[in-house]
Amino acid sequence: MQTTTRVTVPIVLVVAISLFLQGHNLPGGGFIGGVLTAAAFVLIYVAYDLDYLESGVLGREIEPGTSVFEHRTVTAYRRTLLAGLVIVLGSGVAGILVGDPFLTQGYVHLEGIPVYHEVELASALLFDLGVYLVVVGSLLTIVSVVSGE
Amino acid sequence: MAPDLTIVTTAVALPFVAAALAPLLYRVLGERTGYAGAVVAAASFGLLATSVGEYGTVRASWIPALDVGVQFTVDGWGLLFALLASGIGVLVFVYSAAYMHDEEGLARYYAALLAFMGSVLGVALASDLVLIFLFWELTSLCSFVLIGHYTADEESRYSARMAMVVTVGGGLCLLAGALMLAAAARGALGGATFDLTAMIANDEAMRASLRESGLFVPALGLIVVAAAAKSAQVPLHFWLPNAMVAPTPVSAFLHSATMVKVGVYFLGRVRPLLMSPEWVAVVATLGLLTMTVGALLAVAATDTKELLAYSTASHLGLMVAGFGFDVVYGGEAGAFHLLNHALFKAPLFLVAGIVAHEAGSRSLDELGGLWRELPVTAAITAVAALSMAGIPPFNGFYSKELLFEAAYEVAHEAGGLAWLYPAAATFASVLTVVYSLKFLAVFFGERRTPVAEVHRPPIALVGPPAVLAIAAAVVSAAPQVAVDAVVQGAVEATATGEAELSVGLPTHFTPPVAMSAVAVLGGIAAYPLRGRLAAGIRRGVEAPVPVRPSGWYDWVVSTAAATSARFGPAVHDGLLRRYVGWVAAAGSLFALAGFAAAEGSLGIGGLGGLGVPLPVAVVLGVATLAGVAVAIATSHVSGVLTLSILGFMLAIFFILASAPDLALTQLVVETLLLLMFLLVLQRLPSYYSEVRPLAIARDAGVSLLVGATAFVAVLLTIPGPDADPTGVATYYTEQAVPGGGGTNVVNVILVDFRAFDTFGELLVVTIAAIAILVLVTMRTRGEASEAEVEENPLPDGGDSP
Repeated sequence: MQTTTRVTVPIVLVVAISLFLQGHNLPGGGFIGGVLTAAAFVLIYVAYDLDYLESGVLGREIEPGTSVFEHRTVTAYRRTLLAGLVIVLGSGVAGILVGDPFLTQGYVHLEGIPVYHEVELASALLFDLGVYLVVVGSLLTIVSVVSGE
Repeated sequence: MAPDLTIVTTAVALPFVAAALAPLLYRVLGERTGYAGAVVAAASFGLLATSVGEYGTVRASWIPALDVGVQFTVDGWGLLFALLASGIGVLVFVYSAAYMHDEEGLARYYAALLAFMGSVLGVALASDLVLIFLFWELTSLCSFVLIGHYTADEESRYSARMAMVVTVGGGLCLLAGALMLAAAARGALGGATFDLTAMIANDEAMRASLRESGLFVPALGLIVVAAAAKSAQVPLHFWLPNAMVAPTPVSAFLHSATMVKVGVYFLGRVRPLLMSPEWVAVVATLGLLTMTVGALLAVAATDTKELLAYSTASHLGLMVAGFGFDVVYGGEAGAFHLLNHALFKAPLFLVAGIVAHEAGSRSLDELGGLWRELPVTAAITAVAALSMAGIPPFNGFYSKELLFEAAYEVAHEAGGLAWLYPAAATFASVLTVVYSLKFLAVFFGERRTPVAEVHRPPIALVGPPAVLAIAAAVVSAAPQVAVDAVVQGAVEATATGEAELSVGLPTHFTPPVAMSAVAVLGGIAAYPLRGRLAAGIRRGVEAPVPVRPSGWYDWVVSTAAATSARFGPAVHDGLLRRYVGWVAAAGSLFALAGFAAAEGSLGIGGLGGLGVPLPVAVVLGVATLAGVAVAIATSHVSGVLTLSILGFMLAIFFILASAPDLALTQLVVETLLLLMFLLVLQRLPSYYSEVRPLAIARDAGVSLLVGATAFVAVLLTIPGPDADPTGVATYYTEQAVPGGGGTNVVNVILVDFRAFDTFGELLVVTIAAIAILVLVTMRTRGEASEAEVEENPLPDGGDSP
């Protein structure tokens, strides 16, 4: 199980990010990407435990005995959630600053960039990033808190 | 010339702003905050006084979609009421500064009093029904806070709650009535509108429209109930005497001069709109009944403020009766008495406060002959009490005489039972004289049981009632001056036709004059019998519960409390699965009821063709099998696995139905679910425990209900297979690339066209996460506190007196 997880999680994460990025034009998007990312993390939890992310991946010391609510990873998830909301709101308010109604989205095409030749930059991507972060943050908060019990 | 919107809005908004600043003001000024309140009231009064004669309507848009606006109409009637409220407000604030000496919670007190004054000004000047409703309920809320000023006192809390339930409940009737009027306006004025001025301007069309839709009697009934609750009309009068636990300035301001008159005011306002035989039958009868019952109870009262409270109910009945009569005199009586009553009742309350403050008693049996110590107060009381009794030439006489004339005229025209109207009016007036004299006996006649040393009241206490008494004396001496100044405008606004009010002492003998003579002489003759009279009335009041409306109120409140105490544990028993059952069943039932109610407007579009492609049929067949398997699975592992089969089949179905985004989402969510189940599976027992057949039957019932609801909903909402895409769908498909810059329509809709929806959903997700976090954090804490509660059981919330 742990071996499989080591192999699959990076693949799943890359797929999740690509799904998120291509969302505007192909099937995918912030929500799907977010759920898939959360699934990857849950896989780690099932195979290892809540502390593995910190001790095994980031190589930090963990202080034992703290409750799950003050757990560093859980705090990080909550921050992710918050950051997502801020980005969503910010991308909405930015529209107001330019004089458009709240949550108006725009996009620009950038051409002549090496390798990709043409890249489309949509402000909707920023909004979607917020969606992605909120989904990841909230799902993982729930999962880790519940599993920590 | 139309009034200035800025001036009117400022006059109404100023007290609210001051209310918001009251805590700050109190910190700076301390007990002198009352004088600051007086300045605010005077400012509002001054602003409104500049509008005298400049009648008209001003409007600013508020909710254009519903045609609700911030609309103020300045006319004689509204202005009379607004000037009264702000004018008496000035005096009450001055009085409060002296009366509420060394009291707690003064910041809250002044804030509520200021907000109350703003609300009354709002009711008086607003002419949009929604706005009137808002201000109406605000007055009830402020009254709740002020009656319950002594929060530590059980009786005070009980009375505040009672006043709140009765008056706010009445306010809801007003809302319902306003909606009916608005519905009728759709037919009569073209377009739903809450504009009361426009409704009154087209009163005949409105009445026809109301009658046509059968809403006339319900609307009339609801508005009368609302006004009766607010203005303490029988049988909803019982909250008013209880409200007297409030500090005396509050009683004088809210429960004699302003708040209780809001109902009367509104009746006068809609009188031209709803005048009809039904109106006369309901409103005039209600008014005279209250006038009589209130006077009877006032005679039986033993406490100064109780006497004044019942007398207020009685006089409110007089005004309501006046507005009930379909003759010119009726409206004149109501409008003029609104002014007169405020001028004599507010000083009487303030005097009762002075007596309680200086002589230390409110008992009518203990007080007597106080004129030696309180000569100025005694003079004030003499003017006000004689005016209340309706003895000529005091101002109360003129308006009461107008009511007699109205009652006599109506009886003369209708004959028969209508003669009860003048009879009841005269009878109530006899009693009015009796209780007025009884109140006067506090100051005159011999000394009773020696009360403790009586102090001289400070000028800030005597000044306000003196000003009011002088005003009453001026109106008494020259009634036509007051009429010309402001009352004539009020009479015109409430009259159903032309009305020219002229008042003065009678010069020749007419039946109404005879009624007045009977009232005054009868009252003086009956005064020596007051003891026996009071005893008889009290025996009647103490009869079994059915004749006491406050008994009914207690019964309703205690029954409601007991029912909810039983209902709570039944629904909220701590088992999450029980909650889910209730929520799912109730939600389904409501949805089905909604579909049933909308029957006919929804067509079934989904049953176009039953030709399902083979792959889809296979996938759905497997899904159905998996569904059955979940239900009969014997262990968690098999249950979870079969459930995910169901989920993946659905994902495949989405792919077959060319919805790749949905399929992806379904797949990913399904994976995540499976993983989560794996996470918790080791904690769960491997097999289901024994379940009772009854529980299975119940769960099956709920499941079937939910399934049926989903089925019906899908059937009713989806378009037929051959139907064209709707306009919205076409727009999205066409605009996705040029408008949103993306070729994935689903995603463009999510992040661009309907970004606001997505934002809302994100908030929901966040709230869910926070809720679970809190649920898990608090789980142990909640159990701990429950255990504590079990150890020290609290009393039952103190809901019953």
